[in-house]
Amino acid sequence: MKTNYLLPHKYKILGWILFIIGIIYGLVFACSGYDYEPIQIKVLSIFNEGLLHGNDLRLFEIIETGISSELASIAIIVGGLIVGFSKEKIEDEFIYKLRKDSLVWAIIFNYFILTLTIIFIYDLSFFHVLIYNMFTPLLFFIIRFNFLKLKSKSHEE
Amino acid sequence: MKNSIKVQRAIHDMTQADLAQKVGVSRQTINAMEKNKYVPSTVLSLKIAKLFKKPVEDIFFLEAND
Repeated sequence: MKTNYLLPHKYKILGWILFIIGIIYGLVFACSGYDYEPIQIKVLSIFNEGLLHGNDLRLFEIIETGISSELASIAIIVGGLIVGFSKEKIEDEFIYKLRKDSLVWAIIFNYFILTLTIIFIYDLSFFHVLIYNMFTPLLFFIIRFNFLKLKSKSHEE
Repeated sequence: MKNSIKVQRAIHDMTQADLAQKVGVSRQTINAMEKNKYVPSTVLSLKIAKLFKKPVEDIFFLEAND
C-alpha cells in the first residue's frame, strides 16, 4: 500500500514518548491551576489583545513568559501526529482502512461530545473544554485506531 | 461480497500467515477477509486469485444485497 503522508514505522516509538510526556506534563500543568512555569524565556508575540492587562492591542513584540503550556501542547500534538501517522509493521490496505475509519469516528465523536459540553457547560468552566478540545480529536483517533487494531488481532482462527 | 479464501487455503495447505506473506499483507487482513469483515481492493483480489491460479470470480462472489 503506497501512501505519501506516513512516516516510517521506527518513528512510532518516538511519537509515543513525546505524546505521553506531553500528556503527563500537561496534566501536571493543568492541576497546578495553569501556574507551573519552571521555564521562562523571551518569545515573539505577534498578536496580543491584552485582555488581561488593559485593553490595548499590541503587535509583534518580544515578551518574557513561561512556556509550560506551549511545550506540553507541542509535545502532545507532534507526538500524537507521529503515533497516528507512522506506518505499522505491515502497512497494508486493511490498516489504511482502519486508520481512515478511526479518523472519521474520532471527528464525529469529538464534535458530539463538544456539542454536549456547549449545551451543558457554561461560564469560565468552558475554558477547560476549549483546552481539552485542542487535543481530543487526536486522542480519540489514537484510542480508536489502536482499539480496532487490537480487535482485529484478537479474533483469530 | 463473500469469498472462498479459507477453502482455497485448505486446498493449497496454507496458513493465514503463509497467504498473507505471499500477497504482502498482514495476517489480520486475511483473517478479516475470511470473516467477511473486510472487502479487499481489486489489486489484492487479483493477487490472491493469481496465487491460487483461479479466475477472480471463483474466489470472490457478490451477495444478493451487494
